[in-house]
Amino acid sequence: MRILIADDEAMSRRLLQKTLERAGYEVLAVENGRQAADQLCVANGPKLALLDWVMPELDGPGVCKEVRKRKEQSYVYMVLLTSKEAKEDVVAGLGSGADDYLTKPFDPEELKARLRTGLRILDLEDRLVEAREEMRFKAMHDALTSLWNRGMILELLGRELSRSRREHVSTAILLCDLDHFKDVNDTFGHLAGDEVLRETARRLLSSVRSYDFVGRYGGEEFLVVLNNCDPAFGFVRAEQIRKTIAQCPVQTSNGVVPVSMSLGVLLSHEWGMRSVEELLQEADLALYAAKAAGRNCVKVASPNTISRVPDLQVDEPARRS
Amino acid sequence: MSHTDRDSSNPTFDYGELLARVENDRELLRDLLLIFKEEFPRNLLVLREAVDTKDGNRIAAAAHTLKGMLLNLAASQAAATAGQLEQLGRQREASGYAEGFSALESDARKLLPQLDACMAEVSK
Repeated sequence: MRILIADDEAMSRRLLQKTLERAGYEVLAVENGRQAADQLCVANGPKLALLDWVMPELDGPGVCKEVRKRKEQSYVYMVLLTSKEAKEDVVAGLGSGADDYLTKPFDPEELKARLRTGLRILDLEDRLVEAREEMRFKAMHDALTSLWNRGMILELLGRELSRSRREHVSTAILLCDLDHFKDVNDTFGHLAGDEVLRETARRLLSSVRSYDFVGRYGGEEFLVVLNNCDPAFGFVRAEQIRKTIAQCPVQTSNGVVPVSMSLGVLLSHEWGMRSVEELLQEADLALYAAKAAGRNCVKVASPNTISRVPDLQVDEPARRS
Repeated sequence: MSHTDRDSSNPTFDYGELLARVENDRELLRDLLLIFKEEFPRNLLVLREAVDTKDGNRIAAAAHTLKGMLLNLAASQAAATAGQLEQLGRQREASGYAEGFSALESDARKLLPQLDACMAEVSK
C-alpha cells in the first residue's frame, strides 16, 4: 500500500519514512501541503496519508479540505500528525476532513495500529466500489453474452445518431438475426443454443471496431451500431460480419452447429431526422427482406423503396427463425 | 544508557524512549542525529533573528519546528521550553521573547554534547 507523508521537518520525514517502510508501506514523502494536495488529488494517487499540521504553503487541515472537495476519485484516508494537542485543535483537525489525529511524538506501534484502521476502511471502500461496478455492469449488459443489453444499446444508438447529425456523418444500423435458431434449440438443446449465442456475440465483437457498439436486441437478435460509417461501405461491412458469423460452425457441448445470420442495414444519413424507433422499424423491414430472400444475406433499407417489403409475403414466424 | 538518569538536573533526552521510537534501529537513530546536527543550528538562528525583530509569527513558526525536532529526539524539557516560546510568539508576548530564547539556548547547550556522545556511541 502506498502512503503519502507530508512534513516540512526533515527529521520527522525520515523517522516516518523508515518506520512505515519497515511496516511494509511504499512511502511517498513531500515537504509541504501544496505538494501533498497535488499528489493526493491525482488519479491513482496514494489513498493513505499522514499529514503534519503546520506546513508551508498549505497546512494539514487545508490539505484535508482540498482532498475532500474531490468527488469522483477514491476515498483518501488522512491522519493528521502534529504536536498540537489541545481539544479545540483535535476538533478543528477532524472538522477539516481528517479521519484520525495523532500527536507527536508518535509511538510506532500506535501509528501502525491506526493506519491498519485506515486500511480496513479503504478495503471496505474497495469492496463497495467493486459491488457497485458489478451492479452497474449487470444493469447495462446482457447476462448471457456480456454485450450491451437492449436498453443500453438503444441509448447508445440514440446518442450516436445525435452525434452523427451534428457532425454530418452517417451511422450504420445493423439489425441481425441468427437463422433457424429455433431449430438449434430444438435439435441441440437450450444449453447449446446459449453457447451459439455467446459465440455469435464473440464473432460480432471481433468484426467491429473498438468504438462501434454491439448489443443483444432480443432472443437471437443483435443490434450493431457502426459509428461514423462511410456510406459507401455500409453494405460491405455488413457483408463482412455476415461472412464472419457463417464462416465456420459453432462447436457446442452437444455437437457442431452450423450458423448463419440475416442482416437488415440502414444508413442514417439517408433518413433525415427520423426517430430511433422509426429507423429501427426500417432496419427491421430490411431484415424481414433478408429473411424472405432466403436468409444468410444482407438487405439495405432505402427510403426510396419503402413499398418493397410488404410485397415479400413472408409470414412472421418464418421471419424470426 | 539513560542520560536523564545520569544527571537528573540536566534537561537532556531519554535514550530508552528514543530507541523505542526508532524501534532499536541504530542506523536510523544515527540518521536522525545527523539531520538534527545540521538542522537545529539553522533553525535556532532563524528563531534568534525572529526574537531580535520581535516577529511573533516567525517566532511561533521557528519554535514550533524546533519543538518537533526535540520531541523526535525525546528531549522533552528542551521541547517544552521551545513550546513555551512558541506560545509567547502566538500570543505576541514580546516581553518574554528574549528570556524564552535564552532558556532554550541554555537547554540546547546542555543537550548538544550529550547528543554528540550518543552519536559517537551509535556510530561505533
